[in-house]
Amino acid sequence: MSLLATNIPEIQLENVEMRYRAEAAEVLALHQVSLDIAKGEFVSLLGPSGCGKTTLLRLMADLIAPTGGNIVVAGKSAKEARLAQKYGIVFQSPVLYDWRKVKHNITLPLELMGVKKSIREERALELLDLVGLQSFADKYPWQLSGGMQQRVAIARALSMEPEILLMDEPFSALDEFTRERLNEELLSVWSKVQNTIVFVTHSIPESIFLSDRVFVLSPHPGRLSAVVEIPLPRPRTAEMRNSPEFFELIASIRDSFEGV
Amino acid sequence: METNSVREASFIGSSGKDMAQPALTATQKNAVAVPKPAEATASRGGSRMLKRIFSPGVLLPVLAGVLFLGLWEFEFFHKIFDLKKYQLPLPTAIATTMRDNFSMLLSYTGYTLTEAVLGMLVGSAIGFLIALAATAWPRWGSGSLTLVAALNAVPIVALAPIMNLWFGDGIGSRIAIVTATTMAAMAINAYKGMAAIDPLALDLMHSYAAGKPAVFRYLRIQSSLPYVFTALKINATASMIGAIVGEFFFSSKGLGYLLSNSIKVAKMPLGWSCIVLAAIAGVLFYLVVERLEKVFIKWHPSQRK
Amino acid sequence: MKGGSIFVRGRLLPLFVWIFGLLLIWEGTSWMLLHVVETPLAQSKLPYVHEVLSTLWKYSGTLLKEGAATFGNAGVGFLIGAVAGASLAVLMSLSKTIEQLTFPYAIASQMIPILGLAPIIYGIVRDEQTSRIIISGYITFFPVALNMLRGLRSVDPSALELMHSYAAKPWAVYWKLRFPAALPGLFGGLKIAAPLAVTGAILVELMGAQHGIGVIMLRNLYYGSSHTYMFWSTVIVGALLGIVSYWLISLIERLVAPWQPEFRPKGGSR
Repeated sequence: MSLLATNIPEIQLENVEMRYRAEAAEVLALHQVSLDIAKGEFVSLLGPSGCGKTTLLRLMADLIAPTGGNIVVAGKSAKEARLAQKYGIVFQSPVLYDWRKVKHNITLPLELMGVKKSIREERALELLDLVGLQSFADKYPWQLSGGMQQRVAIARALSMEPEILLMDEPFSALDEFTRERLNEELLSVWSKVQNTIVFVTHSIPESIFLSDRVFVLSPHPGRLSAVVEIPLPRPRTAEMRNSPEFFELIASIRDSFEGV
Repeated sequence: METNSVREASFIGSSGKDMAQPALTATQKNAVAVPKPAEATASRGGSRMLKRIFSPGVLLPVLAGVLFLGLWEFEFFHKIFDLKKYQLPLPTAIATTMRDNFSMLLSYTGYTLTEAVLGMLVGSAIGFLIALAATAWPRWGSGSLTLVAALNAVPIVALAPIMNLWFGDGIGSRIAIVTATTMAAMAINAYKGMAAIDPLALDLMHSYAAGKPAVFRYLRIQSSLPYVFTALKINATASMIGAIVGEFFFSSKGLGYLLSNSIKVAKMPLGWSCIVLAAIAGVLFYLVVERLEKVFIKWHPSQRK
Repeated sequence: MKGGSIFVRGRLLPLFVWIFGLLLIWEGTSWMLLHVVETPLAQSKLPYVHEVLSTLWKYSGTLLKEGAATFGNAGVGFLIGAVAGASLAVLMSLSKTIEQLTFPYAIASQMIPILGLAPIIYGIVRDEQTSRIIISGYITFFPVALNMLRGLRSVDPSALELMHSYAAKPWAVYWKLRFPAALPGLFGGLKIAAPLAVTGAILVELMGAQHGIGVIMLRNLYYGSSHTYMFWSTVIVGALLGIVSYWLISLIERLVAPWQPEFRPKGGSR
């Protein structure tokens, strides 16, 4: 996927800083983080616990506000981008409504925006198709496995056709095999939708498999310690996970962690 | 059938341990993507019915009950507590009285039940609105919650004369009593339900730029339903008690009235008949609410197989 | 004065405003009923707050004495019922048979208008003290039993396995694990039962006792509108008894089981 579809970055962070006051001390969760993400890119925020990657994502989503620095999302401030529904977000747990069927869970954002019922129903079918859950439209969330629930969550995040998809360790709670399969499915979905994805993970292989670039974050305080380009060709295939290039990339990323 | 027995003990102070699972916990089943087969309701053979009737869970209490009634009939308790038959009538005497006065007892039961149901509905509605207010405007609304909890502490027996003063001798005052006693349970429980939401679900709503009313409409109210039904179950029984106590003091109709009258004229079997019927009516009311619960929150973990 | 900021910032200010506002509305409505609408029995329906308070103060001695009588009996019954309930819960947790036997009756007993049973008990026993104790005990018994049972059951299976791996004796498992784990449930039941026990005690008094707050209440009710302030004072005392009993249990809970999440300081959001 091209890195430079346009020259104007889709997401831009400039000297972003995040301080918390916890108990007696002050915690510096993020220190002077600056990065650009281009339109149509798939990037990962990678790092161990405490490096601030989730914080960074939540800042982009305007779920929290930075204590310093500047954030621009799709040419607007983070808050404006949220109000304009420029992004969809997927969390570590699916957070589906137990009282709604799968298809109504998917169209929740559309309902909130006042989209007509007939359009919503069409959209639901399209999205179910996209994530491969056509026959589960009328099921309830608890009738699906964990992996399937996450796919529903992804479909929901895409329902508004957002330019950006923010994902906070969406597959961490799943087993390795399901996770690998979902990684491949995510890439397939992305190739059809062609938006920008920011993917938070603590798994080095996952970040390499999925992304165009990996932003490596180190903890204490949280900071950007490296940006690694992933020159593997697209579409990515399962076999690539065993290639020498893959392992080299793992090694180089591992080396770029500081203070871990 | 495994009795997840304690689950059914629905009380306010249960700190919602019943409903500890937030309604949005994902079931992390990483099995192959096959949804659970719709089993359960299918096989309803006659032999299954028979097994359920004769299971220890049903048989034991029934036997115990029969034993208890037997002892009672044969004046076992009279001997122990040194009671006379006129003080504690025999079950057969009670049954006879019930049969003889059946139509009156039935109509009175209906009367009392009406008071209980209406009062419960009004009280629960008000309680729900209070919980809504307390959730929507936390700083100022929660004051109303505290007041309602304090109201709950006022003994019913003090409420009865007050309501009688305010609403006269008619059915209105009893309904008012039941309303007052059912408000608190609903308010406290509904409030807990509206607040017991996965923080991620709130984040999600925030990411949809959904306003407060939308969050209520789409998320909070549905989430609170399990708690609301717990409160309704508590209120179902409390409302009968409230109605009867109300009638006990100021009424010319209904089970409470009959009970107090029977004691005054020392017609104990009739009094006991009232209690039996009140208990039955209470149980029926409770079962109806339980049935409704199955319909309205069929998605909740407590209702799934 | 800096101390004022906590008062203002916290939840206390709105509560005080609510209470004050309510009292104001009460007083205002009371005045209106008396002077404007001229409702009959206006002062009985909604008496002046200041009159009630002054009566409360004037007769505080009597009210306290009678209130203590009620509270005392309710307390004894409450204790007996609580012990009995807790014991039953332990038995139920030990034996499935006992549980199956007693559980349906436990539920059913909640349906019997216990407050309807009170007159019958009094009719049988004829002694006001004993009746109060019996009724309070009965009301306390089942909520405590059921909540305690839930508490005993709420033990994490992994914790039990751990005990098993330590080859701990059964009574040790009970004492060191199940019992402390059951305390929150127990206190939940106690908090519900405490005000109910007071209510039950008062109800018995209303059937013709000599002492207790309920007696004063009834007496003043029947004396009519001239005694309305005293009547309302007894209502307030009755309510206070209920509230005090609840607070007492909460206090004991805080001392005995302080580890519960609700007692932890509310941490800052992460």
